[in-house]
Amino acid sequence: MDSALIPEGVKRCSFGKFAIWLVIVGAVLLWGVFAMLLCWFKGLNQTNMNDAYGFALWIWADLAVIALGGGAFFTGLLRYVFGKDELKNILNYAVLIGFICYSSALLILAIDVGQPLRAWFIFWHANVHSMLTEVAFCLSCYFAVLTIEYIPLILENRQIDRVPFFHNLSHNMHGIMVIFAATGAFLSFFHQGSLGGTPAVLFGRPFAYREGVLIWPWTFFLFTWSAAACGPCFTILITWITEKISGKKLVKQEVIRLLAKIAGWMLATYVVAKIIDTWYWAAVTAPSKGFGIMDFYADNPVYGIWILILEVGICGVIPAIILITKTGRKYSFLLILAVFLAVLGVCLNRWVMVLQVMAVPVLTFETWFMYFPSWQELATTILPVAYGIILIMISYRYLPIFPQERQMEEEKHVSIFV
Amino acid sequence: MKKQIEAKKYGMVIDLDKCTGCGACMAACMSENNVSFRKDESNKLDSITWMRVYKLTNGKEFPEADMCYLPRPCMHCEGEHGHAPCVSVCPATATDYNHETGIVSQIYTRCFGCRYCMAACPYHARYFNWWDPVWPEGMEESLSPNVSSRMRGVVEKCSFCFHRYQLAMNKAYNDGRRELEEQEYQTACTQACPAGAITFGDLNNPNHAVTKIAQPDSKHGGRPKNPNAFRLLERLKTNPKVYYLSSREWVRRAGDNYIENEGKKEIL
Amino acid sequence: MKVCRRSFLSLIIGGAAGTAFSPLPWKLIDDASIWTQNWPWTSVPEDGEVSHVNSVCTLCPGGCGITVRKVNNRAIKIEGMKGHPVNDGGICVLGVSGLQLLYGPTRVKTPLKRTGVRGEGKWKKISWDEAIAEVVKKLVSLRKEGKSHTVASISGSDRGTVAQLLGRFLTAYGSPNFIRTPSIQDSYELTAHLMQGGQDQVGFDAENSDFVLSFGSGLIEGWGSPVRMIKANSKWKERGKVVQIESRLSNTAAKADEWISINPGTEATLAFGIANVIIQESLYNTDFADNYSYGFEEFKQFVLSEFSPDDVAEITGVSSSTIESLAKNFAKASKPLAVCGRGKGETPGSLNEFIAVNALNALVGNINKKGGVWSVPDLDYIKWPEPEKDLVAENGMNKGRIDCAGSSKYPDTRYLLDRLPSAINSGEQYPIEALFVAGANPLYTMTDSKKVKEAFDKIPFVVSFSSYMDETAENADLILPNHVFLERYEDVPTPPGMQKPVISLSKPVVNPLFDTKHLGDVILLIAKSFGGKIADAFPWDNYEACLKETLGNDWDKLVDDGYLFHSNFRPAAWGNAFSNTPSKKFEFVNKGKAESVKIEGDEQSYPFILMPYDSMRLASGFIGDPPFAIKTVEDTVLKAKEIVVEINPRTARGFVEGGYAILSTPKGQAKVRVHYSDGVMPGIVAIPRGLGHTAYDDYLAGKGVNFNELIGLVEDPVSGLNAAWGIRAKLTRA
Repeated sequence: MDSALIPEGVKRCSFGKFAIWLVIVGAVLLWGVFAMLLCWFKGLNQTNMNDAYGFALWIWADLAVIALGGGAFFTGLLRYVFGKDELKNILNYAVLIGFICYSSALLILAIDVGQPLRAWFIFWHANVHSMLTEVAFCLSCYFAVLTIEYIPLILENRQIDRVPFFHNLSHNMHGIMVIFAATGAFLSFFHQGSLGGTPAVLFGRPFAYREGVLIWPWTFFLFTWSAAACGPCFTILITWITEKISGKKLVKQEVIRLLAKIAGWMLATYVVAKIIDTWYWAAVTAPSKGFGIMDFYADNPVYGIWILILEVGICGVIPAIILITKTGRKYSFLLILAVFLAVLGVCLNRWVMVLQVMAVPVLTFETWFMYFPSWQELATTILPVAYGIILIMISYRYLPIFPQERQMEEEKHVSIFV
Repeated sequence: MKKQIEAKKYGMVIDLDKCTGCGACMAACMSENNVSFRKDESNKLDSITWMRVYKLTNGKEFPEADMCYLPRPCMHCEGEHGHAPCVSVCPATATDYNHETGIVSQIYTRCFGCRYCMAACPYHARYFNWWDPVWPEGMEESLSPNVSSRMRGVVEKCSFCFHRYQLAMNKAYNDGRRELEEQEYQTACTQACPAGAITFGDLNNPNHAVTKIAQPDSKHGGRPKNPNAFRLLERLKTNPKVYYLSSREWVRRAGDNYIENEGKKEIL
Repeated sequence: MKVCRRSFLSLIIGGAAGTAFSPLPWKLIDDASIWTQNWPWTSVPEDGEVSHVNSVCTLCPGGCGITVRKVNNRAIKIEGMKGHPVNDGGICVLGVSGLQLLYGPTRVKTPLKRTGVRGEGKWKKISWDEAIAEVVKKLVSLRKEGKSHTVASISGSDRGTVAQLLGRFLTAYGSPNFIRTPSIQDSYELTAHLMQGGQDQVGFDAENSDFVLSFGSGLIEGWGSPVRMIKANSKWKERGKVVQIESRLSNTAAKADEWISINPGTEATLAFGIANVIIQESLYNTDFADNYSYGFEEFKQFVLSEFSPDDVAEITGVSSSTIESLAKNFAKASKPLAVCGRGKGETPGSLNEFIAVNALNALVGNINKKGGVWSVPDLDYIKWPEPEKDLVAENGMNKGRIDCAGSSKYPDTRYLLDRLPSAINSGEQYPIEALFVAGANPLYTMTDSKKVKEAFDKIPFVVSFSSYMDETAENADLILPNHVFLERYEDVPTPPGMQKPVISLSKPVVNPLFDTKHLGDVILLIAKSFGGKIADAFPWDNYEACLKETLGNDWDKLVDDGYLFHSNFRPAAWGNAFSNTPSKKFEFVNKGKAESVKIEGDEQSYPFILMPYDSMRLASGFIGDPPFAIKTVEDTVLKAKEIVVEINPRTARGFVEGGYAILSTPKGQAKVRVHYSDGVMPGIVAIPRGLGHTAYDDYLAGKGVNFNELIGLVEDPVSGLNAAWGIRAKLTRA
C-alpha cells in the first residue's frame, strides 16, 4: 500500500502488519504520555523522588541514554575525521539512534524539572561554574547537529528525493557533513564529559567526588571515554536486534567487526583508567573525607560490593577482552554478549554515579536512603523507548538507512539462482 | 567620601548542651517564613523544615544510652571564596553567595527546579516543593508579606531570615547609619529558642558573641579554636557558618566521618 | 485559486522562520515563565503598617508573655515577650503556632446547637440571645426542681477573674460542683497544705538552685511553666547540677548531669532511702528539724527502720552506693532542690511520693530559702464580696460535692475530677443534669476514656465554651464559643511553680474574627437573666468593666507593660511560714506505707509495662497540636496514621523496627508501630501522649491513639487523686 515510499530494492513487511505494531507500541507511548501529563499538571509529587533523591530514575535515564547515543558522535568522528569509510554503512543508523537518544533526553528533562516553562533560564541566567550549564548548551547544540545529520536521511526518502530542491539539499548537506561530524564530536566530548563532571564536582558527597585536572574531575574524561566505547556497542546491539526482527542482514559483518574492534580498544583503555581512578578514590580521596570504601557498600539492602565488581569486572573487563580479540569478534554469540555487557556496564555506571550517590548518607546521624520509582516515572522513562521504536520503525521502513542492505538483498537472490 | 564597609559574615553558634529538642526553633522558622505544611508530614523526606532538629544517639545500650538534639539550619557554606557546594552547581544562578553578608541566597522565581543543588548539599538543608503549598481556609491571614511565597517545583531553604536583615538595614539607613547593632538583626530561630541555645551574629566582628564563643580560625578555613566547638562535616571543606558546642566527646565526634580509630587531631 | 504544493511549503517554512526572528516567540516564552511565578493559587500576602501587641499565651498553664507582630489588621507572628518575668523572650512550639488556632478551620464561628445525635457533627447556627436563653431555660428548670446541685462545671483553672466568675455563678446558683482539671498542682497543693498549712501555691526558686534532684519530672518537657524551666535548665548548665531519676531516657534525663534509671513506680521508696542516708550521716538541717518541725522523730524512725540503702536498692534497682553518694551530694550542695511529678505533670500522682520528696526538701532546709521550695500566696486582687445565697442556693451548696472532694473520705483534697465518671456511672450519689466545660477538653484528657464517655452520655445537657471543635465540643449539646486568647482581655495570675507572684494581662491582638463571645460576658449575661440574688452577685455591665474594676489601679500599668511582677516578694521566714498547721510548725506527716503504687493488669497476661512520656512537640492538654507543631513530631513518634511506641531492642523479640504491632492493655487496644530505643528500660513500652485526637482537623485528627484510652484510674488511698503511672500491656503481631 505504501510501497512508493519504501526505498528501492529492499523488501518490507505488509503495511497492515506494520500498522498493527505501530498501534501496539503507540499504546505504550500513550501510557507514557498520560504519565507525562500527570507530572506536568499535578507536579512532581507523582514520582517517588524526595528531598534525599532529587536525582533519580529520570536523571539516570538521561545519563544512560546520552552515553548510549554516543555511537553517533564517535562513529561520525571515526568516519569523517579518521577516515574509516567502511563505517558509513552503519553511520546512518548510529545517527538515527543518537537522534532518538538525545531527543529522549531532552523530553525527560522537560518532565523532570520543577518548572519546565522556566527551563530557558539555564541559557538566560547561565552560571558558568555549573556543569549543568555546559551540559545544557552543548546538548542543545549537539541535538541541533544530530537533527542536521538526520535531515539528509529523511530527504533520501524515495518520494522526497524526487523533488530537485530536496535532492540537491541532501547532496550538499552530505558534502559538508564532515564539519558537523567534527562539531558533533567536539560538542559531545564536552557534554559527555560534563555529565560525568556533574556528580564528580560534588565535594559535599564523598561517594561521588573525584580529583581531576584544572576544573575537570577525572570522571569528566571517563564519561566521554565510556560513551565513546559503549555508544558504538549500543549501535551494534540495536543493529543486531533490528536484523533479528527483520530477518535479514543489514550491515556486513566486517563493518560490525571493525566498529567492535575500535569500541573494544576504547573499552579496554577505559577500564584500565577506571580501575586506576577507582583505586585512587578509594585509597586517597574518600578517606580524606572520613570514608573507607566499605562505608559505601555496607549496611543497606541494595548497594554491596557486588555492584562494583559487576560494573567494572563483569561488564568492563570481560567485554573488553572479548572485543579486542579476533576470536571474540569472530563468534557472533561472543560479540553480541560483549556489546550487551558493555551497554549494561555503562548503564550501571550511570546508575552508580547518580542513584548510589543519593543513597549514601554523609551526615553520621543519617541512614541510607532507599528509592524505587513510581509507575509514572517508569511510564515516562519507557515513553522515549516506545517513541524510539516507532521512529526506527518508520525510518527503517521509509528511509535508506542501511547502504549495504540493497546489495546484500541482491546477492541473496543471485546466490539462489546460481 | 563613603567609608569602606567591612564585609559581614553572619553565622551561628548552637549550644547542644542547652538545646532541649523542644522544636520551638522549627515552628518559629515556619511561622516567620511562610513555610507550607501538609496533612501528613511524617515522611521526613518530603517535609519542608528549613530548620530541622535531629536526634543523635551514642549507640550504647540501656542504661548507658545517651542522646542529644542537634538543630540544623542551612549552613550557608562559604567553601573556598564563596564556592558553596550548592552555589557552584546551580545552572540558573538562582542561588548565590553574597560576599557582603556571607548568606547564600535563593531566588524562588528564578529556580526552575533541576534539584542539582539538593544533590550537592551534604546537609540536606535544601527542600523541594513537591506539592503546591495549600493553606487551610483562613490561615492565609497569618502569612508574612516580608517573605515570598513559593510555588511548586522550586527549591527553598533557610535564608538566615534575610528579610530581617533587609528590614534592619532599612531602619538603619533611615536613622542615618550604615552599621547594625548585634541585636538589631537576629534570626527567628535564635529569638524563639527558650533555652538560649542559639546565638547569631557577625563572625567577622570580634565583639559579637558568635565570634567570642566559636573563635573561628581564618588561617585554617574558619574551623573553631574553641575545643568544645565543631562544625558538621568539617573535613569536606564546605566551610559552614554554623558552629556547634558540646561538652560531650561522642557528640563532637558525631559531627564528622572518621575512618575507624582515626583521631580528630590528626586530620585537621 | 489553486495553491500548489511548493508555494504552500514555502509559505509555511518562510512563515516559521519569520516568526522565529520576530519578538513574538521570545516574548511568549518570557511570559510563560512569568506566569509560573504568579499562578493565582500562589498567595501574595498584603503588606502594610507593622505594629506589635503585647499579650499572654494561655494555650497551657505556663503563662508566657508574648509579643504579636501585626501587618495592618493581620497577626502574622507570635514571639516571646522580652523582659517578661516568666519567659523573657523565649517561646515554645505550641505558643509560636498559636496563629494557626486563631485563623484555622477548627474555629467554632458562632454559637451552635446540636441537631443530630451527639458526636454526629450536625449543628444549627443560633444567635447569642437564643444560646443564652437555652442555657438559662435549662438552669431555671433545674432550680425549680430543687436540683441546682446537679449542675457541674469543669474548668481548666480556678484562678483569675473568668474562672472565679464561673465558680461564683455556681455558688450563687446553688451548686458546689466547680471542678478543676487534675494535675500535679493538686498533689503539690495538698502536700503543702498537709505539711506547711494553708492554701498557698507551691513555687520553686529553680533558677537559683545548684543541685536539682528530679524524680521523673519533665523539667524541659513541659513541667511547671515550660519555657521558664527550659531557661532555668540553661542556667543550670552554666552553674549547677541536675540529677534525673527516671525509667526512660527522656530529654530531661539526657540533658541531666546524671541519669539514674529506676524501676518504675518506686520513686517514693528512693526518696525515703535518700532521706535515710541524709539522716544517718547527719547531713540534715538540724536547725529546721529541731526548731521548726513537728514529728521529726517519728519520721526519723520510719525512715531509718524501713529504708536502708540495701532495702531500697532491691526495690528500686538503684545500687546502694548510688543512693548513698546521691544523698550525700544532694545534702552537701549549697542550694539543693528536689522536685517530683512525672513528665509534664498532667497526672496528679501518689501523695506519698510528694510527701517523701517534700520531706527531702525539709531535711536539707530549703523551704522558703534561696534555690528551694517556696510558699507563694495567691494574689488577692480579686476582692469581690461573698455572693449572697438565696434558699435554693443554700440547699444546693449543702448537698456535698459530686466528686467527694473535701468530704470525710478525702478531707483535704479540693478537686477530684477523675472521680466524676464513677460517681455518675455508679448512680450512688445524685445524677449530673447539666455540665459546663471551660478551658478544658475532658473527653480527651481524662483517664479511662470509655468510662468518661459512658458518664458523659448520662449527662443530658452538656455545654462547651471551647473556641475550637475539640472532642468535648464535638459531643456537646450547645457550643458557646469563647474568643480565642488573642481576641480577649483576661487576667493571667501566677503560673504553676513560679516563685514570685505575677499577673499578666491578655489583650486582644485582633478584633474577634467571628461571632464569638467572651466567656466572662456570657456568665454575666446568664447571671443577669436570673435576677434576684444571683444577678446581684454580678454587678458589672460587662466583663471588661469587671476586669478593669477588679484590677483597679493596676489596670493602666498592666495595659502598658503587659504584666505586674512582684519582684520584691520574699517567702515567709520559718518562724511565720507554718502558722496554719495544727502544731504551727512544719509537719513531717506520714500518710501510710510507702508501697509503690500498684498498676492495673496481671503480669502473666500482660508482660510489658506501658508508660506514657511527654514531649514539648505534642500538646496533650486541652489544646491539640496545630499544624506547625504536629509537623515537628519525629517519624519515630508518629508515622503516617500510626503512633510509634518505643521498646528496648532486648525485649523486641519478633518485632521489626518500624513494623506493626497490636498494643493491648486491660483497658483497650490499638494498632501501633514499634521503634527500638536503647533509652527505654527492658520490659517497658513507652508511648507518647497527645495523639489519638478524633476532633480538630485533618492535620491532627485520626493520627495515633489517645493514651487515655489505654489506661485506667488508680486512686490514691488518701487523696483520692489519680496515681496511675502506667498500666500493664502486651504486644502482639499485627
